[in-house]
Amino acid sequence: MKASAADFDREWRLGELFDAAMLARVGPPLAELLDADLAILDRGGAPLWGMPADGALREPLVLELEPAGYLASTNARPARLKCAGRMFTALLRAEARYRMASALHLEAVTQDFETLKLEHSRLLASEARYRKLSEELEARVAAQVADLETRQQRLYQAEKLAAVGQLAAGMAHEINNPLGFVSSNLRSLGQYLQKFGELRSRLPEGAAAWQSLDLDFVLEDGAELLTDCSSGLERIAGIVADLQRFSNVDRPPEELADLNDCLQHAANVAAASLPPGVRLHTELQPLPPLTCNPGLLNQLFFSLIRNAIQAIVDARRPGEVSIVSAADPAGVRVFIRDNGIGMELTQLEHAFEPFYTTRTVGSGTGLGLSTARNIVLAHRGHIELASTPDVGTTVSLFFPIAP
Amino acid sequence: MPEHDDGSLSFKLVYYGPAQSGKTTNLLRLHDMLSPELKGEVMTMETKDDRTLFFDLLPLGFRAPSGLLVKLRLFTVPGQVAHDGTRKAVLSRADGIVFVADSDRAQETNNGEAFQSMADNCHRVGLDFERIPLVVQFNKRDLPNAVPEAEIRERWESAPWPLHFATALTGEGVEASFETLLRALYRRHVDELGLAREHGLGEDTFVAGILGRQGRPQA
Repeated sequence: MKASAADFDREWRLGELFDAAMLARVGPPLAELLDADLAILDRGGAPLWGMPADGALREPLVLELEPAGYLASTNARPARLKCAGRMFTALLRAEARYRMASALHLEAVTQDFETLKLEHSRLLASEARYRKLSEELEARVAAQVADLETRQQRLYQAEKLAAVGQLAAGMAHEINNPLGFVSSNLRSLGQYLQKFGELRSRLPEGAAAWQSLDLDFVLEDGAELLTDCSSGLERIAGIVADLQRFSNVDRPPEELADLNDCLQHAANVAAASLPPGVRLHTELQPLPPLTCNPGLLNQLFFSLIRNAIQAIVDARRPGEVSIVSAADPAGVRVFIRDNGIGMELTQLEHAFEPFYTTRTVGSGTGLGLSTARNIVLAHRGHIELASTPDVGTTVSLFFPIAP
Repeated sequence: MPEHDDGSLSFKLVYYGPAQSGKTTNLLRLHDMLSPELKGEVMTMETKDDRTLFFDLLPLGFRAPSGLLVKLRLFTVPGQVAHDGTRKAVLSRADGIVFVADSDRAQETNNGEAFQSMADNCHRVGLDFERIPLVVQFNKRDLPNAVPEAEIRERWESAPWPLHFATALTGEGVEASFETLLRALYRRHVDELGLAREHGLGEDTFVAGILGRQGRPQA
């Protein structure tokens, strides 16, 4: 590599180290000290300061190995000229050292700067790589989240279907009962009508026929049967109305509603298929209306009440489910309490996890409480469980009044 | 590439190595021991607490039979880790390197790191590290806890660079290391610079000229 003017490690010429102005400052006092004529020459012998006369004595100025220039004088004493040369060389070396140091410093700084620039471009490249990587990761996370959401949605639907199935079984039983006596009543009423048909053919017998056909009783009992029938049909209509309200058909998803209505519907539906030995007790304080999705809340409360009933059934003893609501300035509180089998601490810890279940395989999807919590969170509320084994469980819910 | 103009040829040789391994001492001993035709003073740039901050420079030279002036400028780099920019700048344009390692067993890591930094810096300043004349000198053989020579030789067995052992304080091995570098330097450049052909400069004459052994070339 060829050394350039900027390199610190080149050899220096006298003319570069001391310019004309510097030589003009150093030359005269030196000549004065020598008490003689003096010229300063470059390494080729050309004058840099002063006018050399022919035959002048030359004193070489050596910086490294070769003369970088000369002091020339015709009449200086040789010993003094040598001393002047040593002094001048010392000055030149000091200047050369200064020049080398500053040039090296500049070169080192430039090298460091180049290193930094290189480092900077490497950092930029790695930043770009990481950005790309992070974009890929984000895309993958988004895809997986979407996948999870789809699966959760499916499970949620499955859970809903399972709940609907159970509900349907309960309802079928409940509707079958009045249906049974209404149809039996109708059969009896049909027989009573036959008796009036018989009366037409026995009209000549007069009052005796009325008596013998026992039509007084038929009239009385027929009216009673009709009353029973219409009360039975009312029961069925009531159940259907409950179901309709419960399933929230024909309603917008978000509306102002009284949570007590939701609790009452859920309790009614649960009461329709209450196992023996289980009582439902409601204690509903007046509540401010809440912006909510009543369909979801119906499902939430029904699911919690069903759990509570199941906890009592599991305890194999009679018990009570109490459904309590209360309002405070911040929002609405609901407590669903049972004195059933309760939960161990480990069960409590996992209770809200999807697919966690203590039921035997096939009798539950394990989505109950997880779904319940999702519904509560969707209403910006919170849900807590407190339970003691064999004593009972309390589910506390809180729904804030919308700001 | 060495500088080559107006009847002179100038090589730049660099003493590289970890901090306080004896690079400057090598230069001072060479100045004392060698007696070439032309020998300058050791120019010590800035030092602080006996540590080189910039570099030291020793100029040496002799005239070939053809009249060509052969000049060698020996530099040391600052060894301290912090001065890497300066080290790189000093290493720039080098024609040959003596790597001065510290034989002290406690310095083995520093030796390794300095050697690696030298290889990296060579690449960064555009030197062909695979081909540049390079001699490895293990200095401070007088230390009581110096790694034994056999162990060092075994470790460096597969490396292509000549090994030397030295005690720069007493001058032992200093000249031998330098001579090995001179011979490698000569062989690297003999053809392209026409040293033998145009200047009548054989390897022994070249070495003798720099070391100042005119008239008694090595056998």
